[in-house]
Amino acid sequence: MLNPRYQFVLFAGLALGLLSSCSDDHNDTGTEFAPNMYHSVAYEPMTQTDGDTNTINPYGMNMRQPVAGTIARSKFTGNDSLQKELLHQDLISRTIPNDSITYSAAALKNPLAATPENIEAGKLQYERYCQHCHGETGKGDGLVAKMYKGVPVYSSDALKTLNDGHIYHVITHGKGRMWPHGSQITSANRWKIVLYVHELQKQ
Amino acid sequence: MIRKNFTLVKFLFSFLFLFASTYATLAQDAAEGETLFKNNCAACHSSGDDVLVGPGLKGIGERRPIEWIVKWVHNPQAVIASGDKYANDLYNKFNKAAMTPYPNFTEGQIKSIVAYIDASNAAPAAPAAGAAPAGAAAPAAAASSGGMMEVLLVGLLVIMVFVLIALLSIVSTLSKLAGGEADAEAPLMKRIAENAKKLAANSAVKTGIIIFALLLGGKATIDAAYGVGIHQGYAPEQPIKFSHKLHAGQYQINCNYCHTGVYEGKGANVPSANICMNCHNAIKRESPEIQKIYQALEKDEPIQWVRVHNLPDLAYFNHSQHTNVGNLECKNCHGEIEKMEVVEQRSTLTMGWCIDCHRNTDVNAKGNAYYDKLVEVHNKDSKTPLKVQNIGGLECSKCHY
Repeated sequence: MLNPRYQFVLFAGLALGLLSSCSDDHNDTGTEFAPNMYHSVAYEPMTQTDGDTNTINPYGMNMRQPVAGTIARSKFTGNDSLQKELLHQDLISRTIPNDSITYSAAALKNPLAATPENIEAGKLQYERYCQHCHGETGKGDGLVAKMYKGVPVYSSDALKTLNDGHIYHVITHGKGRMWPHGSQITSANRWKIVLYVHELQKQ
Repeated sequence: MIRKNFTLVKFLFSFLFLFASTYATLAQDAAEGETLFKNNCAACHSSGDDVLVGPGLKGIGERRPIEWIVKWVHNPQAVIASGDKYANDLYNKFNKAAMTPYPNFTEGQIKSIVAYIDASNAAPAAPAAGAAPAGAAAPAAAASSGGMMEVLLVGLLVIMVFVLIALLSIVSTLSKLAGGEADAEAPLMKRIAENAKKLAANSAVKTGIIIFALLLGGKATIDAAYGVGIHQGYAPEQPIKFSHKLHAGQYQINCNYCHTGVYEGKGANVPSANICMNCHNAIKRESPEIQKIYQALEKDEPIQWVRVHNLPDLAYFNHSQHTNVGNLECKNCHGEIEKMEVVEQRSTLTMGWCIDCHRNTDVNAKGNAYYDKLVEVHNKDSKTPLKVQNIGGLECSKCHY
């Protein structure tokens, strides 16, 4: 039999151990059974596999940037006239330099009609991509705008008459304090946002 | 003489009237100016002294005469072309970016804008100062709530130890009273040990202990076996201490703003540094965590975020199918991300978990012509609405191929 004092120490140690075992290591994924069925042999985008990192690309990246000047045509699949027009406008837009906003205002035309469905779809995209800065009604009073500052009011005299091409250009390439958002939003969604911004210009 | 005096009085009166009227209209001017400023000027100018796109306008009324300001607002290019030194210096300082002309503003409107700028700078920045400590206190309180739990547990443990000591002393006193002088001389611990020895010799107790240990061990083994390959609770430390609680919670930035693929493709995408820079070109530039983004951009090096949700390669999953077509919310699977300082995997992501949801969830068929015929056929035989399991949500090859 152990010394009674040691018994007490043992009991206390056990109790502490049980309590601390509730918080496990958050950096560890735990045991994996058959990891070769868990980790893809092919290089998947945005995945990291220990011991099998990509040796072809720098920094073990699995994704590369598209070749400069190329367009993923798969984004404009379908034979309908709308897809063709979207592609057409995108191609024109890509030839216009970032600083030539007046060209865009003159050359670009929204392929989408201002139907209630399209405007509603535009509102959804606006809420996802714009609202946190430009505010619910386009008054430049979003929660982030309070920190970022200098967000304009769509219905102001200088902005309320801006046309499709101008707004599309600003979303794609940015203007003033706003940085380009072309890489985040598909061109079809940008045109939908343009429709909804027109609604906010009236408010 | 009288006539002369009369003119003087008239002059004085008119002066007084003018003075009083300007004083009364000053507040009104500032209010009008505020609307005008916020609608037209605030996109490029701050009313303070910080530079946004153009210079901060604090003290503009003292810096430039009002006639110059009016001319400038009406047609900046003309003022620059006239060779005005101040205008040209300003033009060159801001990389030859001219201000948008506002020819429709009346002189009165421009004056009221200047009045607003003066008024906004005269007013103490009390609300801003008051807001800052409140904001700072909130995260501190949240952080301490985790610590509170530990303190509480340790406190309970200490109380339990005290209660144990108290009980033991009571027992010893009682046994002293019952056993008389001779027994009391034997130390307490020794007596406990003797009793324990007697107890351990009892076969019924022995069997009980062994069964109890076996049951505990068995449960622990089964639990551990079920946990194999499940990453639930995985919350890896990231290279930059990005807080979803701040971005998605406090500032309500939509998930889709950064995770651009979530409605479009298989993966939701982890944002590249240019998306961080959309805001952080201006916000919190000096923070050491934000500096890490700048360094990554300068070196043209990717930020090596650690992926949290790793679905096994043996199962196929597509985000757009669930978010765009199924109209499920992100938190359906990811939990309350907007409350997480560090993102952790909340769901088990096991097959049972997937199947459960496929059994219980109605297909989002409304307004989707693709499902019209399927719903029609389904409704002929069944009274329950079309579930995911009815359109192949339980078929092996839907996810495993």
